[in-house]
Amino acid sequence: MRRGALEYCVLALMRDTPRYAFDLIDALGKTGMLTTEGTLYPLLSRLRRDGLVKTEWRESTDGPPRRYYELTAEGRRALNAFRTEWTAFRAAVDGILQEAKKS
Amino acid sequence: MTAPHAEQLIAGYLARLADAGAELPREQRNELIEDMRSHIAEARSRESGDETDASVLNILDRLGEPGVVVAEARDRLGVQAIPAYRPGILEIAAVVLLPLIWPIGVILLWISPAWKTRDKLIGTLLPPGGYPALFWLGAAVAVTNGEGVGCSGVGVNGQPIQFSCSGPPAWQMALGTVVAIVLLILPLVTAGYLAVRLRWGRQGAARPA
Repeated sequence: MRRGALEYCVLALMRDTPRYAFDLIDALGKTGMLTTEGTLYPLLSRLRRDGLVKTEWRESTDGPPRRYYELTAEGRRALNAFRTEWTAFRAAVDGILQEAKKS
Repeated sequence: MTAPHAEQLIAGYLARLADAGAELPREQRNELIEDMRSHIAEARSRESGDETDASVLNILDRLGEPGVVVAEARDRLGVQAIPAYRPGILEIAAVVLLPLIWPIGVILLWISPAWKTRDKLIGTLLPPGGYPALFWLGAAVAVTNGEGVGCSGVGVNGQPIQFSCSGPPAWQMALGTVVAIVLLILPLVTAGYLAVRLRWGRQGAARPA
């Protein structure tokens, strides 16, 4: 489940501003969503192939050039669809867990 | 403290990644390797303090085992390994015929998907023509050398005639012998090489699902 949700977490992190991979790794690492940093790259590659993100290389002031990932309109739609689905899913699971607790 | 082996460690990691990723489509494998390369560069530029071998190893550890990353890539990109091509009669015939009946051997070599282009070129060019060509080459050399051999017979006072012959100089003979031996062994070595490459290349290619 975590694996399926990860790609939407990545999309969510890019919602407001383009991010570069290391930046995403930092953010995901703090939440424990990403244990093997390298596995983020195939995910990003997949998102790009699916047209959910687009990329651009930018010079960095304090290191090598960075590839920035930015949501496309399609990526934004996918994120919004997931948010709706997730909210309903979470409510359903929460409901069942509460019931189980009471009985 | 310094990191005397940093470049070696990184090159080793990327090589293992390329190896593990052999089954990925080329474009995706290259992209993955480039991503990893720039990740490592970024991570190194962020390290505070002096870089050590240990800090480089930590960066690589956090990236993950190449096999794990490639497995993820395979899943995410929907790549399935296609059944490996099994070398059979065609390959055996190619290896056997290459030194003996070169043109047929070469045709079989290029028909077979079991070798990479590089190996096919090696098989074709080392030596071109196989043993038949060597035979004709040898014959041509023998004829040329034969012309250079001069013999003169001198009879003195009814003594038996003595011949003195002037062949090619000794170093030329030695060189010729070495070249001949190399040329004789070369087709066998090439055939052996192709047989070995056949065994190693069994994992086959992959295609996107």
